[in-house]
Amino acid sequence: MLNTFKDIVRKSSIHVCLVNCGGCNGCDIEIVALLSPRYDLEQYGIYVHNNPREADVILITGAVTEQWIKKIKRIYSKAPEPKVVACVGNCPLSGDVFNQEGGNVHAPVSDFICVDAEISGCPPRPSEILEAILTVAPGAIASRGREANGKNKKNQVTGGK
Amino acid sequence: MKNMSSVIWYLYEFARKSFVEGFTDAKSKHDIVEKPDRFRDFPEVIKEYCIGCGACTKSCPSPQAIKLVRDGDDSEEDGITYPVVNERSCIRCGFCAEVCPTDPKTLLCGENHLIKEEFNIIPSKRQYLVDDFLCIKCKKCIKSCPVEGAIIEKDNKIMVDQVKCISCGNCLDACPVKGAMKGVFIDNLEDQKAVIHLVVNTLEEFIESKEKELQSLPDEKLLKLQLPLSEIWDKALKIIPDEEVALEIIENATDRLKIRIIAWDDSKCKKCRLCVDECPTGAITYNPDTNDVKRDSNKCLRCSNCYQTCPFCFVKYFIAKFLLDEFDGEKVILITLNESQLANN
Repeated sequence: MLNTFKDIVRKSSIHVCLVNCGGCNGCDIEIVALLSPRYDLEQYGIYVHNNPREADVILITGAVTEQWIKKIKRIYSKAPEPKVVACVGNCPLSGDVFNQEGGNVHAPVSDFICVDAEISGCPPRPSEILEAILTVAPGAIASRGREANGKNKKNQVTGGK
Repeated sequence: MKNMSSVIWYLYEFARKSFVEGFTDAKSKHDIVEKPDRFRDFPEVIKEYCIGCGACTKSCPSPQAIKLVRDGDDSEEDGITYPVVNERSCIRCGFCAEVCPTDPKTLLCGENHLIKEEFNIIPSKRQYLVDDFLCIKCKKCIKSCPVEGAIIEKDNKIMVDQVKCISCGNCLDACPVKGAMKGVFIDNLEDQKAVIHLVVNTLEEFIESKEKELQSLPDEKLLKLQLPLSEIWDKALKIIPDEEVALEIIENATDRLKIRIIAWDDSKCKKCRLCVDECPTGAITYNPDTNDVKRDSNKCLRCSNCYQTCPFCFVKYFIAKFLLDEFDGEKVILITLNESQLANN
């Protein structure tokens, strides 16, 4: 009963944290376009807070520069479970045009943290980003929430954590 | 009174059915997910038309986005070569479709804008062009031009009107950016190609003769070489007798030239033959009688697939850059070679 209630809440209210780890800002502009009345992200219950501590979804853009390697892991660890990571654009997937001869980027971002959704494009259309968040996030967050609950109970019994 | 009317107006607005519906049940319409016609999506590949020239891979700004692959040979015919677009790297710029020389095109991506050559009526060995990519729009060329309207600004681009241009060359001297204003030679294109071929081939042979030095080059170190221009100069003058033209063509060619060098040590090769299937042109062959893996440098595209495939990192991949300079009163071509930083495997 409690779990079903939690599932409904988790599915209908998704908090997003946007992290640009060294990109050109193009994908970030597409995400800002999602907040505009035309796409209106908030009608789906998605809120952009830019605070990893209250994030359900971490959106990652950019090709992971050297300074971001530690920080991206730290941001990931700050986000509470259940969490979903989505890569927006080609930069976090392959480094894209920044991954040149002599470049100093550390793409893909999946070398450092677990990635659940990949949205390719340079930049992807706002509707593609929205589609990816809506198809992956609610289900994944709800099912992971249930798994995490089970683990916590076991830990309490054995006195772990 | 004024306030009253606006309050009534608001009440009227809020009481309407469509407003209430929209307020309680706001939803975007379906058209937000539809891509407009003008949208340039990922390129589409039609395998059958490909001639394996590699122009698409060279024009691509993203290093991992497009690769030439070759299907395996069967008993009747050789496998076909075709480009494969990696959507995780492609930036949908459409350059690959633009440069594709086949007709009909192998790669389709949005609209293509074909570049047409312009026609000049004044007999001159040079044609003056503005490279829009390098041009900084300082308009010094317009001020220096003796003919009004020969250099014009249109759609925020500086252009030379070929019909009015008198080929005086003032704009070339006035331009502060090297290469932004170009005086290209137009009447002996085939000879120019021959000179460029000569320069490239000589440089490549010269570098390949130094293969031992390349093999022993430590990581992240540069190899610096020099080739005196006199070795090419006589042959170049036989093709183009005009010294000014020949020198400028050689200078332009070496300035922009980047040669990719692939080398491997036969004694270290483990004969795993992974590179043989990976080569898009079939330049790498295996001979079972002599247990030898050989690369045919005439067929090789220098695409670096073998370098990226080799699991033992024995294939080395270098990039050579050039500069024509004066050294001890003699013109020399300076060569710098460094190992590619493209990740292998």
